[in-house]
Amino acid sequence: MTINRRKFLNGAAAVGAASATGFPHLWIKDASLAYAADSEIKVGVLYSLTGTTAIIETSLNQATLLAIEEINAAGGVGGKKLVPVVEDPASDPATFAQKARKLVVGDKCASVFGSYTSASRKAVLPVFEKYNNLYWYPTLYEGRECSKNVIYTGAVPNQQQKEFIPWLVKNFGKKFYLIGSNYIYPKEENNVCKILLKQLGGEVVGEEYVPLGHSEFSAVINKFKSTQPNVIFSTVVGDSVVALHRQYKAAGLDPKKMPMASLTTSEEEIAAMGGEFAAGHFTSAPYFMSYDSPENHKFVEAFKKRWGKDKVTNFVSEPAYFQVHLFKQAVEKLGKGDLTPPAIREASWGQQVKAPEGLVKIDPQNSHTYLWPKIGEAQTNGQFKTIEQSKEWVEPLPYWAYPGQVCTPNGLQEKKA
Amino acid sequence: MKGNGHIKRTLLGYFAFCVAILIVPIFISDAYLLNKFARYLVFGLLSVALSLSWGYAGILNLGQAVSFGLGSYCMAMALKLRTIPIQTGAGGLPDFMVWNNVQTLPWFWEPFHSYAFALFAGIAVPVAVAFLIGWFIFRARVSGVYVAIITLAMLVVINLLIIDQQRFTGGFNGITDLTTFELFGVQFDAYSTALYYLAAIILSLTLLLGFAFVNSKTGLILQAIRDDETRVWYFGYDVANYQNFIFCVSAAVAGVAGMLYTLVMEFASPTFLAVPISLSIVIWCAVGGRASLVGAALGAIVVTGVQGSLSDTQAFLDTWMLIMGALFIVIVLFLPNGLVSMLELIWRKKRPLQGSASARLVASRASRAGQATGHRAVSSR
Amino acid sequence: MIDIVSQISVGLSIASILLLIALGLAIIYGTMGVINLAHGEFVMLGAYAVWFLQTYLGIGLFAGLILVFVLIGLVGWVVEWSLIRRLYDRPLDTILATWGVGVILQQGVRLAAGAELRYVKMPDALVNPVAFMGYDESAYRIFIFVVAVALLFVTYILVFRTEFGLQLRAITQNRDIARCFGVNAKRIYSLTFAYGAGLAGLAGALVSPLKSVSPDMGTNYVVDAFLVVVAGGVQSLLGTVASSYLIGQASGVLAFLSDDTMAKAIVFLSVVVLIRLFPQGLFAMRVRRS
Repeated sequence: MTINRRKFLNGAAAVGAASATGFPHLWIKDASLAYAADSEIKVGVLYSLTGTTAIIETSLNQATLLAIEEINAAGGVGGKKLVPVVEDPASDPATFAQKARKLVVGDKCASVFGSYTSASRKAVLPVFEKYNNLYWYPTLYEGRECSKNVIYTGAVPNQQQKEFIPWLVKNFGKKFYLIGSNYIYPKEENNVCKILLKQLGGEVVGEEYVPLGHSEFSAVINKFKSTQPNVIFSTVVGDSVVALHRQYKAAGLDPKKMPMASLTTSEEEIAAMGGEFAAGHFTSAPYFMSYDSPENHKFVEAFKKRWGKDKVTNFVSEPAYFQVHLFKQAVEKLGKGDLTPPAIREASWGQQVKAPEGLVKIDPQNSHTYLWPKIGEAQTNGQFKTIEQSKEWVEPLPYWAYPGQVCTPNGLQEKKA
Repeated sequence: MKGNGHIKRTLLGYFAFCVAILIVPIFISDAYLLNKFARYLVFGLLSVALSLSWGYAGILNLGQAVSFGLGSYCMAMALKLRTIPIQTGAGGLPDFMVWNNVQTLPWFWEPFHSYAFALFAGIAVPVAVAFLIGWFIFRARVSGVYVAIITLAMLVVINLLIIDQQRFTGGFNGITDLTTFELFGVQFDAYSTALYYLAAIILSLTLLLGFAFVNSKTGLILQAIRDDETRVWYFGYDVANYQNFIFCVSAAVAGVAGMLYTLVMEFASPTFLAVPISLSIVIWCAVGGRASLVGAALGAIVVTGVQGSLSDTQAFLDTWMLIMGALFIVIVLFLPNGLVSMLELIWRKKRPLQGSASARLVASRASRAGQATGHRAVSSR
Repeated sequence: MIDIVSQISVGLSIASILLLIALGLAIIYGTMGVINLAHGEFVMLGAYAVWFLQTYLGIGLFAGLILVFVLIGLVGWVVEWSLIRRLYDRPLDTILATWGVGVILQQGVRLAAGAELRYVKMPDALVNPVAFMGYDESAYRIFIFVVAVALLFVTYILVFRTEFGLQLRAITQNRDIARCFGVNAKRIYSLTFAYGAGLAGLAGALVSPLKSVSPDMGTNYVVDAFLVVVAGGVQSLLGTVASSYLIGQASGVLAFLSDDTMAKAIVFLSVVVLIRLFPQGLFAMRVRRS
């Protein structure tokens, strides 16, 4: 490499460009970093917009922003505008933790709505506990958590499985094959499933975990063929759902005899796999896009209008939506009182709202949410037909499978035998 | 052969860098920023680790994240055992073990009750793993891209195993909720000035020691190996031993970086041991100038710094990744020897050389350019 | 009880998918020494191209394949012309450059087409399984296998039986001498890179109805592809085929016997051992690089 003027200027330009774009604080005024004014309430929105889990998390971001816009259009929260501070944690738990801290300490948000994966929730938890802020977590998860700084609006295993497993056994048989992605959520759901099966005299003919993002299921399908379960209980997530369903049908398996029963297959995955590959399989969730209620019609219409008519809503974006409304109610209940996250938490206990899935309530005992589990059968048109619907809302019991422990407003406690 | 003037000047550059990073806390007191900068320094250290292997010995280690991750887990294990459990029923067990229905603490967790052991393990475990891998491959005279693939494959395997063995490692969630590290009465909270200084001091020491090392006889032999392995064999040196040695030294440095990273991030996660971050290390090195330790550190700091600033800014929420990609391309095209070559250019402008010194410099540049083509690494034997 | 037919079926299917994805990389890396970290993104682009053609232009998979090959080949051509061709003297820098390209392509697609999973329709003719020696194999997987073999054949002919291939092999062995003989290295390299990219795009299009389409789908493939190419021996087409088969078959059998996580770990470890035993890959070639 010769030293010459042109190379030097090129190099200088490169570094100049790098620094200029790299330190935009120098030349972009960013209003969202300003301190909150009296007529505004800042809330953090922490869902991945890039990376692997952006697949689902963008819909959570959209649902949250939709709710915030609706609230602001209707006059705000007690007259104050909700200002969302949106961050992109890029599907990386480490970045989640950093952004969470920025939202809590730097932006002084009154609450933060966020997270899809348990890994990201676990990563941000210490931030919320240390600074005593409030995290609103909308995703179905494995339970066994009782943080004083989180409001959980997603389903826990007892809500998802208590009616589902008996229904499956009754309608299809007792031999179950458990397949999930390799992390804590599927493993814990399978624990609960095994407990329920044992009570019902069922049998687990296979249990395995595939790496996250895995998409080659030919060996697994061979195992289905050789063990002949009555039900395939699936907790794979993301791309794996799409790949599994497609390869299942391509290999000639029949959902009437060996259906896949899932906790994680939603309208998003069905849209990606194609209705014909989903048809005949079942999902247990508190919410389906096709659910017939006035609130849901309004929600779906508003969502499509705001974000695109080809968009779908799912059982994670619905809680992401209604939890913002619950937040609003909690803050309004505080009235003139001090707007601190712990106060918001207490004010949220017992709050009810007519969500798209039905009337939901935050349980004062454990800060989880009363939900309406449903069993849906996937149709070729990409929607779920609700086959079974719980008669009343189901109480959340994050420690249902562990009788020695109970979640209280002051945290986890051991029950004396 | 580099002249003494060159070495002195480079050393001055190293000192300047060290001073620069050490005086930052005088100007910045925002805890959030200090933590961010500490993170960048840790990445700088990690980049230096790779530079030792890649820039100076020609070993492209695509699995550097293994050492990094193992170091971070060692520190996390020690901190976890001292965390007052918030959500566990059993005494003395980390919470994730309780969730996984583990009854007793596994034997390999026991020694981590001691900080001394953890600090030792944070270096020893990565070195042991590196030694095994290195002994395995360098003895067979595997080189170039084949080494790269092996290190990448090992990374994938270890990553899979750590995620799979959820009961012992926390699985995909990693080991979260850690107490604050304390040594000799100093608390190293993630957002404290103390931690920033720790990172800065360790980075500075590593740079200076590393500089001394690469200019020592061993360092020169390693560079000779990078330039032409076969010739060094013919000179009678046991090349495999040297390669394994630097491979282990890199692992040790990366292990230290990993331990620091746990302190900075307040958790350990299998994402620290994954392909994306491991490839990122290569990128940082390439951007900064892999054949220079301070260049590698600079590359890491600049890339992650730019990335951090951009992604924090609302205006660039959608486009920061595009900008990063474009920057990489720009740097490859215009600064092929990395950012440090830019600094050298500036220096050259100010102090043009005359006569034999100039010839020597051109010669050393030519050998650097030769190394940059990497064709030695790709040639068959 | 392992049924031989089903195991071989699975192995061949996995192997053919691996081969499809690795073939383009084998061509590019084997002949030009370019470490193309954007290879996974070319695969992803192929998948998105076929999605786009299907959704917005109504072109089905079969008809779309040729178009996808040409389109992604064009993208490869542009990348080579604007960037890669400046880096032939410094192959290690292609790592950084192609990484940048990959990042841009991935985020670009995410911004243009959204982050959600996308739907590519499997042709109706191939949805149902075909009974074969008592075993139901997916017709689509058989189709992929056939296409993989066909592409292999085409590539072989191209490299070993055409003038272009002769020139390519000449440049690979010794670029400067070949140029002295009048071979236009620049043009050959452009065409080769475009061909490799086109193959990658084709692979993406073919796997998309069987798996899924997302902006980051490429990252999973690029590691596997490199493993296959390097384990087989960098300049050897036969090597790539052999290692695809070995790795594919081993993955299938091991996954059946234990589970996919263990299978992947064991296969990767085995590749490590393989390279230790064959430090130049399964089929080593002698070349002199200039």
